[in-house]
Amino acid sequence: MEKIVQIQDVTKVYEEGKNRVVAVDSVSLEVKKGEVLLVMGPSGSGKTTLLSMIGCILHPTSGDVKVDGTSVAAMKERELPDIRKRYFGFVFQSFNLFPSLTAAENVEVVLRLKGWDRARLKKDSVGLLGRVGLERRAGFYPRDLSGGEKQRVAFARAMAGDPPIILADEPTANLDSKTGKEVLGLLKEFSQTAGKAVVIISHDPKAEAMAHRTVFLEDGRLKQ
Amino acid sequence: MYWLAVKTFFHERSRLFTTLVGIIFSTLLTITQIAMYLGVMGNASTIIRHTDGDVWVTSRNIQNFDFANPFPEDRINRVRALAEVDWAQRLIISWGFLKLENGGQEQVQIVGYNPDSGVGAPWSMVSGAASDVKGGRYMIIDKTSEQRLGTLAIGQVSELSSLRFKLVGISEGIKSFTTAPIIFMSYNQARLFYPQGQTTFIIAKLKDASKAEEVSRILRDTMKDNDVYTSAGFVYKTVMYWTVQTGMGMGFFLTAILGLMIGAAIVGQTIYANTMEHIQEFGTLKAMGARNLDLYKIIFTQAAMSASIGYVVGTAIVFLTKNGFEKAGVTLYLSVPLFAVVFVVMLLTCFASAYISIRKVRSLDPVMVFRG
Repeated sequence: MEKIVQIQDVTKVYEEGKNRVVAVDSVSLEVKKGEVLLVMGPSGSGKTTLLSMIGCILHPTSGDVKVDGTSVAAMKERELPDIRKRYFGFVFQSFNLFPSLTAAENVEVVLRLKGWDRARLKKDSVGLLGRVGLERRAGFYPRDLSGGEKQRVAFARAMAGDPPIILADEPTANLDSKTGKEVLGLLKEFSQTAGKAVVIISHDPKAEAMAHRTVFLEDGRLKQ
Repeated sequence: MYWLAVKTFFHERSRLFTTLVGIIFSTLLTITQIAMYLGVMGNASTIIRHTDGDVWVTSRNIQNFDFANPFPEDRINRVRALAEVDWAQRLIISWGFLKLENGGQEQVQIVGYNPDSGVGAPWSMVSGAASDVKGGRYMIIDKTSEQRLGTLAIGQVSELSSLRFKLVGISEGIKSFTTAPIIFMSYNQARLFYPQGQTTFIIAKLKDASKAEEVSRILRDTMKDNDVYTSAGFVYKTVMYWTVQTGMGMGFFLTAILGLMIGAAIVGQTIYANTMEHIQEFGTLKAMGARNLDLYKIIFTQAAMSASIGYVVGTAIVFLTKNGFEKAGVTLYLSVPLFAVVFVVMLLTCFASAYISIRKVRSLDPVMVFRG
């Protein structure tokens, strides 16, 4: 399978006054198209920092992240939003939906950010909701949706604009077991049918069963 | 992102209401204060502005239109002697007491003009004509004086400083700075209330209005016991006196500024609170690829919408209450430039208030979205 993300000897150090915390220490990793990669590890092991660097939200202190062959380390801070917009879809633990927008509009936000054709905004956002079984909930506000429905809207939003990589941060943490399984199923299906790379951070054992590959992080270092 | 700004803006109804109340109040206070100031200053200079003259000759060291002193009226000949002068007319401004029907009396300002030339005559008549004061003890009173003088009826006879005058005309919207009712009469009758052989102003119309400054200089050189102003200069002198020397301008200015500051504080506070409440959403947008500029657009659009809606409602209230102000004897001078300036100021105030939120969003680290 073709590599879409390459992490090469990446280290992230946080310095606050005299304190120096190595959040991620010399991690090298590859993510391939059509692959579901699960990153597991205890709290404080550096999972979120690693995900932030994969998603081009954080610059590594040293090492490099290559997205589709493009080196991010050499990029300026102001260039990163375009990379994120083009390559990544995000699924967050707390869903992070906009309460003032309907389910369809929450999806539409990303399409608008990506400069989608205005005439297709409504149709495509409802279509994406259809892919996660929520077409009939398109006009509902997040407050009127269940936790599982919210996460599926968030997933539809992550798929908006057809990004090659989905990054999911604890996508099942706020869901019951059955719903969590459904969401993980959606992520895997998306990876297989659309040939997308999916990186999941999770403590959920069910996620391990769904993933093609699992890596463990402890004290910022990778444990194979 | 304008789309998202609008959606979010109308979603937060209670916050929107608070913001709008602040801006409405601010708009109301600012417009009414400035309009009142302009109205008062308009009244203070109304006769100068509505008199068809280019140059005004006044007594020496005059402070404003209302506090003029007498000087010999035959000095008009020196003005008429100038080749640049087309015509010159005299105007008397005096004071008297008008006896009221209830036995009381009211101090009034007397304006004596030449009814043949109409220079200094009332310019907006409800009944009668400005020339009707000719040939006897006739007077024209402004309708706005009814609150002080009682209902005016053509033909009524009133005692003005022991002399009986018949009302032959009613003007409209002509008020003095002092708020004393203005009574127009012929120059000859006004002489009865003034030292003999004296006048208050000589007004000259020039053949070429553009030479007003030059003619004023010539007259100043030849009439050492008088002051000479161009029409615009005399308006400026009068307005500046009331604005600066009485502290009145500062009073209006401070209240208007206070209004703006209240608006700015409320808008700033609500926009900041709104930004903080939606900080997770801003972080999400950043994570998903929104640039800082996209987020600024949201905040500035909401600030602009707050300013615009608040301004429109505030302005509508000003129009709705204008009659109430007028009935209370307060002139509001409302004009397109005033509305335009207040709108721009309101908009800038709201943008400035939004700046704190902009700083917050600029420094926002999108990593926060992964921290629950």
